[in-house]
Amino acid sequence: MSGSLQNLTGLDRMIHEPARLMLMALLSSVETADFLFLLKESRLTKGNLSVQLSRLEEAGYLEMEKTFRGKIPHTEYRLTQKGKSAFNQYRKSLGSILK
Amino acid sequence: MNVQIDSAQKRARGYWFVDGFTEMAAGGLFILLAAILLFSGNAPQSSFSTWFLSVAGEIAVAKLIGILAAILILWWLKDHFTYPRTGFVRGKRITVTQVLVIIRNVVLFLFLPILALLAVSLLIASAHSVLDFMPEWFPIGLGLIWAVLYLLAGEWMGLQRFRLLAIAMALTGIAVGIGQFAIGLPAFPANAQTGILQPLVLDSINRALTSLDLLILISGVILMTSGLVTFLRYRKENPTPYVEEA
Repeated sequence: MSGSLQNLTGLDRMIHEPARLMLMALLSSVETADFLFLLKESRLTKGNLSVQLSRLEEAGYLEMEKTFRGKIPHTEYRLTQKGKSAFNQYRKSLGSILK
Repeated sequence: MNVQIDSAQKRARGYWFVDGFTEMAAGGLFILLAAILLFSGNAPQSSFSTWFLSVAGEIAVAKLIGILAAILILWWLKDHFTYPRTGFVRGKRITVTQVLVIIRNVVLFLFLPILALLAVSLLIASAHSVLDFMPEWFPIGLGLIWAVLYLLAGEWMGLQRFRLLAIAMALTGIAVGIGQFAIGLPAFPANAQTGILQPLVLDSINRALTSLDLLILISGVILMTSGLVTFLRYRKENPTPYVEEA
């Protein structure tokens, strides 16, 4: 039990925040997703979503790609390899704590 | 918390089915295939094998063209209807390793049990009686296989309605099988000559084809209905495209 509790402090705080965790979970099962999808699924406000995405981007966990769909500018987000590894590690740690 | 993470991942995976278009397209394709099988059954043919080869060819072509057309239509519909409302998602690319794992699982958990079941049936009963009852067990088996596939897909993508679809597919298969047993549905092609096949074997195959046709047709209608209901709900929840606030 004490070992598990020590693991708790070792959880990645960048991912552990609920809004960012949800974004990481959503992005972990797709190749890319756009801002609107993340906005609708997370039910965050636009401002909050932008802030959380920027933080994850600064941490190197996700990357943003600006493209065009027809004539409309379009922003897609994808997890980086670092982000995928961090998310998998987070889930493992969480699993061992909750066991 | 792990449950919530799983739920978010499943929602993202199942996004392709959020608007019901895919089920409607699949249902339409099923109905088209059933119609080809049904109408080709009335075409005069010299022998069963000629008829069978001709129908198999027609179905293969219709499947190929139908799937390509469905993909193009789905892309267009999603581009103009779904993505402006609830956003765009690009699904994960499936790797070769994942394809091999899927094939292994299908062989291990689907084909091997079916072969084992057939082998046991042949041991218990004669090959003749297994063939005789093909119109009854074939739709039941196929309906159950589809039900398992829908259950697995529904579980993977967290789609509750796929459980209902699985139940509906299983019940349809069972109903067609029982229907064949109880009232004996008509056989087709009606005009086929036996050729090298024994008349009883030919009759059994023909009646099994009737079962297959009916199963595909009803499944198509079920898929169309499910897609339509999903579409109407989606449209109600997202009546207009998302507009940036000023």
